Amino acid sequence: MKRSLQQIALLVAKDLRIEARGKQTVGLVIVLGVLIIVVLGMGLGTGGPGAPMSGFKSTAILWVAYLFGGVLCFEKTMAVERQDDALAGLLVAPLDRGALYIAKLLSNLTLMFVLALVVTPVAILLFRFDLSTHPWGFVIVMALGMTGFAAIGTLFAAAVSSTRLQGGLLALLVFPLSLPVVHASTQMMRKMFEEGEALSGGGLATLLAFDLMFLALSWFVFELVLEP
Amino acid sequence: MTVSLSTPAATAIPGAAAAVRAEKLTKAIDDKTILKDINLDISAGRYVALLGANGAGKTTLLKILATLVAPSGGVLKLFGQTVRRDSIHIRSRLGLIGHGAMLYRDLSARENLVFFGRLYGVADAPGRAAELLKFVDLAPRANDPVKTFSRGMMQRVSIARALMHNPDLLLADEPFSGLDAPSCRMLEEMLSRLHGQGKTVVLANHEISQSLRLAEQAVVLRKGRVVLDEPASSLDPAAVLAEVSAR
Repeated sequence: MKRSLQQIALLVAKDLRIEARGKQTVGLVIVLGVLIIVVLGMGLGTGGPGAPMSGFKSTAILWVAYLFGGVLCFEKTMAVERQDDALAGLLVAPLDRGALYIAKLLSNLTLMFVLALVVTPVAILLFRFDLSTHPWGFVIVMALGMTGFAAIGTLFAAAVSSTRLQGGLLALLVFPLSLPVVHASTQMMRKMFEEGEALSGGGLATLLAFDLMFLALSWFVFELVLEP
Repeated sequence: MTVSLSTPAATAIPGAAAAVRAEKLTKAIDDKTILKDINLDISAGRYVALLGANGAGKTTLLKILATLVAPSGGVLKLFGQTVRRDSIHIRSRLGLIGHGAMLYRDLSARENLVFFGRLYGVADAPGRAAELLKFVDLAPRANDPVKTFSRGMMQRVSIARALMHNPDLLLADEPFSGLDAPSCRMLEEMLSRLHGQGKTVVLANHEISQSLRLAEQAVVLRKGRVVLDEPASSLDPAAVLAEVSAR
């Protein structure tokens, strides 16, 4: 167990070091996220001066930015392993495949959280929505939603990384499968920001249940989809 | 140059424990049979050349030996232990040099080696990395990103990566392809030196004369079957070529 934790830490540190060198993924997903917010904001209308966009609509737009940015993160962190066949180097090592899955998931989540840290303030400024009513509710629901989404995305990124379709195929697979998580998250956001309700324990339990189910299934299946 | 490879494996002794024992190994992908009834016995410390035309099944066999791919049938034993999908402990005794360098381009040669060393639980990974970078004659470029290296240099780092954990069995899949003559010679010397230190080496290669010169045992694959398994010294390159290219 201790050995696996050390290996997970090593793999995540390696992924983040590579990302820090090139800054390719973070730069790309942030630009994409901001573009999505600006374009959707313009399309839906920011409400004009003095008229902020509703919290529910704003968080829904943020979700779109997180989802598309997330797919790019999943794809890029797996592409690093495919270049020069680095994945085979990992698979021939005494490394549990489950540990590799957890490491990739953590790397993806870290990149997604960086995306959220940059894109969310942009949306708050642009849409002038009031996050102060449920700041922690927003953070918790988004974090749980992203975890479920990344759990599925990490699995399918590994599965499609050896195909030539990649990006398009990954989005086609991940978006429908993550619908339960996205639906549960947006419903909680609607209740908090549109109906003024407090963060509900039942909603959180549902989201958590989906997360655990996705994590367990993906962790179990991950080994089977890895092909050097 | 001499390099201490911490704990050399046992030298080849006739009748010694088998490093590799394959019994009726088969591999089929969809309906296509890639390997059929492969029987292979490689005793510890041997230098074995795996020969065959393109598509003969050399790479698939090496991937199975490296535990990267599961066979569809048959039994594979490495160092006396039956290989299963979760054979993590067996993997710590294997080193693989493949078609790709299996390195991270944005990391330096030293960072790559230290990373893989720690993944294998090597006690002093930075020290071992420095030792091996000297061994492959790349110490002056240790801190340069691998993406700035030539193919030959990447291949040398790849060899160092495969040796970080001092494996008992080194599997090399066409390591000479794409290398210039000096790099080929250097790689030949490295593999021979490792063999001299008691490592079992399995080399998949296209060059018949070179393979017979380097190895002690030659195994020829044709259409997924072993058609020849003889001491290399007893074989004539022309006869091997005939076996390789026969239809």
